Amino acid sequence: MNTPKSLEEISDLLLQIASLLMISGANTNRVNTSISRFASVLNCEVFNLTSQKTIILTITDNNTKKSFTRVKNIPPHKIDFAIISRISNASWNAISGQWTFQEISEKIDSIKEQKKYSKYITLIAVSFSGAGFCNIFGGDYLNMLVAFFSTLVGLFVLQFAHKKQFNGYISVFLASFIASMLACTGIIYNIGTNPEATLATSILFLVPGVALINSFTDLLDKNVINGMVRFTHGVMTVLSMALGLFLAMLIFQIK
Amino acid sequence: MIPTLLNLLEVAIWSGIAAVGFAILFNIPRKAIITVFLLALGAGFIKFVLLDFHINIILASLTAASFVGLVSMPLAHRIHLPPVVYSIPAVIPMIPGYFAYETVLSIMSFIFLEVDVPKRTALMQDIFSNGFTMLFILISLTIGVSLPLLLLRKNTVKKIKR
Repeated sequence: MNTPKSLEEISDLLLQIASLLMISGANTNRVNTSISRFASVLNCEVFNLTSQKTIILTITDNNTKKSFTRVKNIPPHKIDFAIISRISNASWNAISGQWTFQEISEKIDSIKEQKKYSKYITLIAVSFSGAGFCNIFGGDYLNMLVAFFSTLVGLFVLQFAHKKQFNGYISVFLASFIASMLACTGIIYNIGTNPEATLATSILFLVPGVALINSFTDLLDKNVINGMVRFTHGVMTVLSMALGLFLAMLIFQIK
Repeated sequence: MIPTLLNLLEVAIWSGIAAVGFAILFNIPRKAIITVFLLALGAGFIKFVLLDFHINIILASLTAASFVGLVSMPLAHRIHLPPVVYSIPAVIPMIPGYFAYETVLSIMSFIFLEVDVPKRTALMQDIFSNGFTMLFILISLTIGVSLPLLLLRKNTVKKIKR
């Protein structure tokens, strides 16, 4: 059987896993089931309150019935599906292999160290999706080129603002403003057959898709508070996007 | 017939590319990228064919998202990744972002710009129709993606027998 570890260490590990999952964009149900799986491997039972900024967790040792409670603040969210899938795989392997505390802890550390796609690949890929959206909305290839460049510059501004640690909504506003300014020049110089499609799609890369989908997933699972929080976050983001677009359209007197 | 089909296919391919762009932004594992592309292509094709037959966009999104949800279940067993990793990026191109900010834009024009009463009434209609279309598309995407788990009353795909 597993070597008994102090409840304090176990709760720290579980909180670390929960917070990693939460910032990577997992829904609340997944966070809860993952940490109860890990807890069952360590012969504990876990009761927790998961919210967007804080996790409160109580673990109870199945043998001694002693319990321990700890609270952790969650850092800002940064969506990362690789972390979600690796933690999910690790939780199944931990159950089937009856991992020890040490093994789980090392695995989580190695998951945290995984590298991401480089900044430039992300920029190019997201710009291609901007162009793709433009095609979906009925733009021709010239429109798509303009959409590609507005998305590229917009995402660059967003990444820059994140790096300078601007408020999240202000970074979204700036990115949306700059991207739609570029798309508006497409309308003014009448580039392509359908420049309005470019304007409509140049800011779609900012849409908080994961937050909005997760909000309804949480609501379906009756995690009402988390669902409402995520929805509100999504609406705030959309609000700042629309504000940037509105300002650009006002400056160029479009519509 | 053939030109329409080719046009639909082109749009579907571009929605697949859009999904891959977002998938890379969300840092999905490298082996899931092709899956995301194919799922989003299939979903986009279904959605645009249905839209071409003048079926409501909400119903079309629900059908396309259910396709993603149902196909991702057997795939989860095959490539050993949890379904969210590729089902959420695959439905990202269908997220009603356009309706979302169009709602906000209509609200802003209603408040700041328009004084003419008939135009304000038209804006009210826009706010309601765009806003609720956005909400219902979001709900249908969520239901579609989690359809297998909802129908089979399980909370993890691992427990569903092949």
